[in-house]
Amino acid sequence: MSTSLDQVSRLLALVPYLQAHPDADLAATAQAFGVTPRRLLADLEVLWFVGLPGGMPGDLIDIDMDAVQEQGRISLSNADYLSRPMRFTIEEVTSLIVALRAVREVTGGAAGEAVDSALAKLSKVAGAQESKRVGFAVATSESAVRERLAAAIAARRAVRLSYDGFTRAETTTPVVEPHRLSVRDGYVYLEGWSRDRDAWRTFRLDRIASVDPAEGGVADRGEPPPFDGGWLEVRPEAALVTLTVTDRAHWISEYYPVRSVERFRRGWRVQLLVADPAWLRSLLLRLGPEVRAVDPPEAAESARAAASEALELYAELLGSGSVSLAP
Amino acid sequence: MAPRKSERIMNLAICLLMARRFLDKNHIREVVEGYAGLSDAAFERTFERDKDDLRAMGVPVETGSNSSLFPDDIGYRIRRQDFELPPIDFTAAEATALGLASQVWGTATLAEQTVSALAKLRAAGIDPDASRLPGVSPSIGAKEPAFEPLWQATMTRTVVGFGYRGVRREVEPWVLTYRRGSWYLAGFDRTRGAARLFKLARLEDAPRTIGKPGAYELPENMDLTELTRPLEPAPAAAEAVVAIRGDKAPDLRRRGLPVDDAAPLPPGFAAWRVPYTSDREFVTEVCGYGPAVLVLEPAALRRQVIGRLAAVAR
Repeated sequence: MSTSLDQVSRLLALVPYLQAHPDADLAATAQAFGVTPRRLLADLEVLWFVGLPGGMPGDLIDIDMDAVQEQGRISLSNADYLSRPMRFTIEEVTSLIVALRAVREVTGGAAGEAVDSALAKLSKVAGAQESKRVGFAVATSESAVRERLAAAIAARRAVRLSYDGFTRAETTTPVVEPHRLSVRDGYVYLEGWSRDRDAWRTFRLDRIASVDPAEGGVADRGEPPPFDGGWLEVRPEAALVTLTVTDRAHWISEYYPVRSVERFRRGWRVQLLVADPAWLRSLLLRLGPEVRAVDPPEAAESARAAASEALELYAELLGSGSVSLAP
Repeated sequence: MAPRKSERIMNLAICLLMARRFLDKNHIREVVEGYAGLSDAAFERTFERDKDDLRAMGVPVETGSNSSLFPDDIGYRIRRQDFELPPIDFTAAEATALGLASQVWGTATLAEQTVSALAKLRAAGIDPDASRLPGVSPSIGAKEPAFEPLWQATMTRTVVGFGYRGVRREVEPWVLTYRRGSWYLAGFDRTRGAARLFKLARLEDAPRTIGKPGAYELPENMDLTELTRPLEPAPAAAEAVVAIRGDKAPDLRRRGLPVDDAAPLPPGFAAWRVPYTSDREFVTEVCGYGPAVLVLEPAALRRQVIGRLAAVAR
């Protein structure tokens, strides 16, 4: 949209805004409209020449320009005919509705109900057909888990989670001081201080099976570290491992953050940064015969030991007759 | 920026909004500041463009005639009830939620559109609370470069063209949808003559618009669930019985059921009946758990797992 269109759209909201907020502060008004004070001044200068058709002096919108220049206060009058803003455009109301759906994912209790009712009102204004134009779904828990976490955050109380860890593929029961619920990259997370680890941790809500009260409250531990590193972050202890794989395993280069990928003898050579040995062990076990070589070779040792242990268990089972060898 | 142009369009909007009847062009030319002094041709051009501009920003400029006898005497007006935000009221708690919404979008254009929606609410006397609430941090990102152009095209019902899986497509965008951190477009693929789902990250070039906004209608009874079914995991086709060690493999235990009458298992293991979709994926998944999960049956599946583990153990 050209700048003139942006400006006219803004002016059509600014005129009713300034009538609803007499003696408005210039800086606060600029912030409400997402523009600089300078841009807002330019807007006011345009309005100075706007009014009812005919263009007689009494027809124009009145703005006390001295008060604007000297005190940064805005008084606008003689514009009763523009006392209500324009309808939402579909872009505006849809962006707001989708944003509120994300807010809903991290709120509980009365706050959550307020989001629901605000959404219902906006959807009515937008029209049933229009509000269907964008879908939004994130991976999260059942609502009871979110409700309990939101309540614990508000009350500053520690909780014991039953957490289905991903990398290590086991259920643990950490005691966590809950800090914040976040939506990031399509998942809902709890950010909190893990008492077991004595460090900030993030927990995916779709992996939290239950939340129970734990002893004690939430200590003041400042802000958690920035979220967005996720597991892309390069930790100092990360090791560089090179896998030589067949074509069938090429997906790993799209799925995981890799250092480099190159063609190698009808397969691929992929460099990975490995922060967690348990993750590499699981990856190698899953890839199985699709891995031709691992460098350094000792990086494969843990997977090899795990596979041997599993094979021994199978031998035991099959030997004991618990599982028949017949197809 | 052209302040003169903004002034003129504002004055035109006010003039049409105040009109009780359709106003003809000549009258508008006389009373709206900014049209005086233009040649006939320049006025025609400018007026047409201004009208288009108003419509582009969502102002409902209506065309019609005041007289049934002379239906060709065309005039213009803006009906107040079509122009103004309908009455809407929010409680303080709802206003707090609205305030949070302004911080959600991680993409510039969408953030601006949210701010602009909230500014309209403020202009209607509602005060969304802009202070940051502790304890929540919702955010929606859109890393895909195609997101903003497709958002615009979807909202305005404009046909777009782009390359996808090596084929040039012309698509009528219906719905944008966000799943697990990725954006998808559902729409009518004119090239294929069928409804299709596109992953935005896989578009091969920047989408470009074709033709004008409002070029098609969305199908009635459009079912987003049906359109996005390909994004959901396929229904389970088979069942395996596995032995799981203690608290390990929560993903399997979550979708499975414990088996009570299992044959003797190694110490610390319990038997579970687990549904799965494809042999290949399930074998891979089970192998990933190493010695924490053993397949008991079916035997064919167990042999595949043992075969792959043997390749790692060598």
